[in-house]
Amino acid sequence: MANLLELRNVHTFIGQFHILEGVNVSVQHGQITVLLGRNGAGKTTTLKSIMGITPPKTGEILFEGSPIHGKTSFAVARLGIGYVPEHRAIFKQLSVRENLEIAARERGDLDRSLDFIFDLFPDLKRLYHLPGGNLSGGQQQMLAIARALVPNNRLLLIDEPSEGLAPVLIEQVMEAIKRLSSEKTVLLVEQNFRVASKLADSYVIIDEGQSVASGSMADLSKDQALINKYLGVA
Amino acid sequence: MRTILGLLRLFFSFGKWLYSTSAFTLVVALLLIVVGVALYASQGNMATFSITILSGLLRAMLLFLVAAGLSIIFGLMDILNFAQGAYFMLGAYVAYDFQHSNMGVLRMGDSIPDPNLRFVVGVLLAIIVGLVLGFVLERVLLRPLYERPLFQLVLTFGVSIVMLEFIKGVWGTTPNSWTAKLALQDAQFELFGQPFSMYRLFIILAGFIMIFAVALLLRRTRIGIIIRAGVEDDEMVNALGINVRAVFTLVFALGCMLASLGGAVAAPFLGATPSMGATFLLAAIAVIVLGGLGSYEGTAIASFIVGLAWATMEQFSLFTNIGTVLSSTTPMLLLAFILLLRPNGLFGEAR
Amino acid sequence: MNRVGKFLKENWLYLTVLVLLILLPHLIGWATDSSPLGVQRGDRFIMRGQSTYWQSVFIELFALAILVMSYNLMFGFTGVISFGHALFFGGGAYITGMTLEFMGLEPTLGLLVGVLLTLGICGLLGLTIGLATLRLRGVYFAIFTLAIAEMVWVFFGRFPATNGEDGLTLKSLPTFIDPTQNRIFLYYIALAAFAFTFFFIRRLVSSPTGRVFQAIRENEERAKAIGYHTLRFKLFAITVASTMAGGAGILHGILNKSARPEYLSVTHTVDALLMTIIGGVGTFVGPVLGAAGLELADVLLRDAKLTLGTTVINVGESWNFLLGLVFIVVVLVFPYGIVGTWHRWRAQRRKPK
Repeated sequence: MANLLELRNVHTFIGQFHILEGVNVSVQHGQITVLLGRNGAGKTTTLKSIMGITPPKTGEILFEGSPIHGKTSFAVARLGIGYVPEHRAIFKQLSVRENLEIAARERGDLDRSLDFIFDLFPDLKRLYHLPGGNLSGGQQQMLAIARALVPNNRLLLIDEPSEGLAPVLIEQVMEAIKRLSSEKTVLLVEQNFRVASKLADSYVIIDEGQSVASGSMADLSKDQALINKYLGVA
Repeated sequence: MRTILGLLRLFFSFGKWLYSTSAFTLVVALLLIVVGVALYASQGNMATFSITILSGLLRAMLLFLVAAGLSIIFGLMDILNFAQGAYFMLGAYVAYDFQHSNMGVLRMGDSIPDPNLRFVVGVLLAIIVGLVLGFVLERVLLRPLYERPLFQLVLTFGVSIVMLEFIKGVWGTTPNSWTAKLALQDAQFELFGQPFSMYRLFIILAGFIMIFAVALLLRRTRIGIIIRAGVEDDEMVNALGINVRAVFTLVFALGCMLASLGGAVAAPFLGATPSMGATFLLAAIAVIVLGGLGSYEGTAIASFIVGLAWATMEQFSLFTNIGTVLSSTTPMLLLAFILLLRPNGLFGEAR
Repeated sequence: MNRVGKFLKENWLYLTVLVLLILLPHLIGWATDSSPLGVQRGDRFIMRGQSTYWQSVFIELFALAILVMSYNLMFGFTGVISFGHALFFGGGAYITGMTLEFMGLEPTLGLLVGVLLTLGICGLLGLTIGLATLRLRGVYFAIFTLAIAEMVWVFFGRFPATNGEDGLTLKSLPTFIDPTQNRIFLYYIALAAFAFTFFFIRRLVSSPTGRVFQAIRENEERAKAIGYHTLRFKLFAITVASTMAGGAGILHGILNKSARPEYLSVTHTVDALLMTIIGGVGTFVGPVLGAAGLELADVLLRDAKLTLGTTVINVGESWNFLLGLVFIVVVLVFPYGIVGTWHRWRAQRRKPK
């Protein structure tokens, strides 16, 4: 089966800085793929390049076989890609309900997905009418993920969901991602290797703006040398 | 010497209080002060007092129509639209010209003999002109410049100059006063023995309705949710699959439309003058600064405070010898005071 | 000797222009057979003839160029935007004029006091406005300057002591600088002020202080993070620019022998902004070229007519409208201005090799 998402030799500049210098990523249907790498390696920029927020200068990005590089961010999203940025970029002045409502692309999106969302994150049901800014960090992360589940997205890009969360909450969020992956394909950015190794099916390592290794997560877990080289504390 | 020091200390502690006190107390206090001064300025004459308050409310509504667009546009796209005053003025000129056959630009107004109907059509025309020109300004002129915000500011300023010069070129540089008679203007009601035209009341009521209509739009509709979300983080809204740039255009055009509407309904009192754009722009900026940049509630409340204060100062200026100077510089004076004493406004966060 | 040589090598173009400008009244006089001093009647000179006419054009040009250069110091080099620069321009004319007319001093002393007062008050006023608003976001400075300028403009339009709309006529101007009697002297004063401003700004901007200005323009947060007290630098730029604009206003006032409300009007702010952008934001020569180009165009096209189909547009009457249009077009399609575009073109031609 063809890959759902495919990045071929992507180069991205931010201002005059060459951030991505050749990134290749394949994301297969129904899998959780994780982008690993040190801080500043270019993982977040990879997600932003897919979303068209920092469009790539050269290279190809294919979604379901058709090119999406060069499309604006909203057009990319409408193809069925949900984006959960780092630092939980929810709308703090809007209520939880409005945060979900704004993500709906068609009439009925919210009603259809609400049961699933409340099932995944029971907390949100209780907080439904509160402003997003009143939520705790973990609850905001759940809301950000839930928001990407409202429309009928086939691919979710999730950036560092465990960042800054207490261990109990990390478990909760990871459990949710595991569960939703039965319905959605996920491309995850994760610093925490332990978390990533439990969750992901396959991995791509990015180092200094280049994808340097990829394969199945099971293989990586055995390859201590590779882990030390790119992920260990240098 | 001691009294001077005491006064200075009083002034500074007042300033400090203004800087630090809560928004609610401040709103109540400012309204009380303004109404108190208005009472004093009318020298106990209730008829004069009611004139001041009514014209203050009227000003407040007109100010709101200019300031609402200014505030929402600023919150959403970070552009302070210096052309907003020019749209207000253009609205007044369009409505005025359509009503008066001696002006001779929009002659088609003559085909409607009934002045009331003609006025309604003129206002509609002003709305359309505002909407279309607002659309053009955002789409054609501002859109290429989102990467260079300083130049956007410069450009709206340039557009305001072009519009002013255009108006001067077409309609001349002398002020035009409204001579047509509308039924609503002739109809009168009495307050403390002082007759007022019903039109005043109508505008005030219509203004209240507009305040609530825009509030409902922002609170209850999908586009309102998108606007409020865009104020926080437009990049994220875009990444959710919403064409934020299209929303920008729509909001910008609507904002300009509100200003034109304001100008059109103001024309029966204020006529059409080349200076009204700058005056209302500065007063509206005073409103949004006082309300806190980007806060809709703040804008609505501050419209009242500034409108009433404006009318009060004009009343005050009637019995001072620098009266005319005082009354025509009122909006700028208010703006200067607000900027000096509470630059973050009533409901604004320090940015 | 070496340093002099280096200075000459770096500045030969500017020095040539300066020499040409010094000789200009005589060159025009020689070419058109008119005396640079005007026509002598008894022991007085009447300002008639091509040379004296062009002297007045150039005095106006120097005043405008100083105004534009000062605007560029704020907008182009430091990134501070003001919509009320006319305040200092018109203010300069009014302060000097009121000192001359109302203080009852001997004319020469009065002029001296007026100039000092003007420069002091303008600098102080700029500093105060900066202090009040610069801690806030940049847009507040634009708002505040616009408000103050409009207020002062309206005020002088109705202020009885300075004859409201009609403005103040400078009757007590000392004879040696009076443009109706001794224009060439005013010409050299204006030229000196212009040259001083040009070289001063050049020196200032290439000094360490000037580099901080530009760092602020590029990224204020970063300049702060490096450890610069950016507020102080911005205040300094604004104070210097306001003082210079006041000086330009003095020249303009003396040349026209008056102080009128329209000197304070937003038109002069627009002129400064437009000429900065047309010439090239953040360049040294750009503002001068912008000012020269527009002033000469104004002089030459004032009576021109533009025929579009059946409608005839009188260029002089719609000058401000046309300027506004040019302004919009330049911002949109030509944002680096003449000099900026030239620099880019040259840089690009060098690169590929």
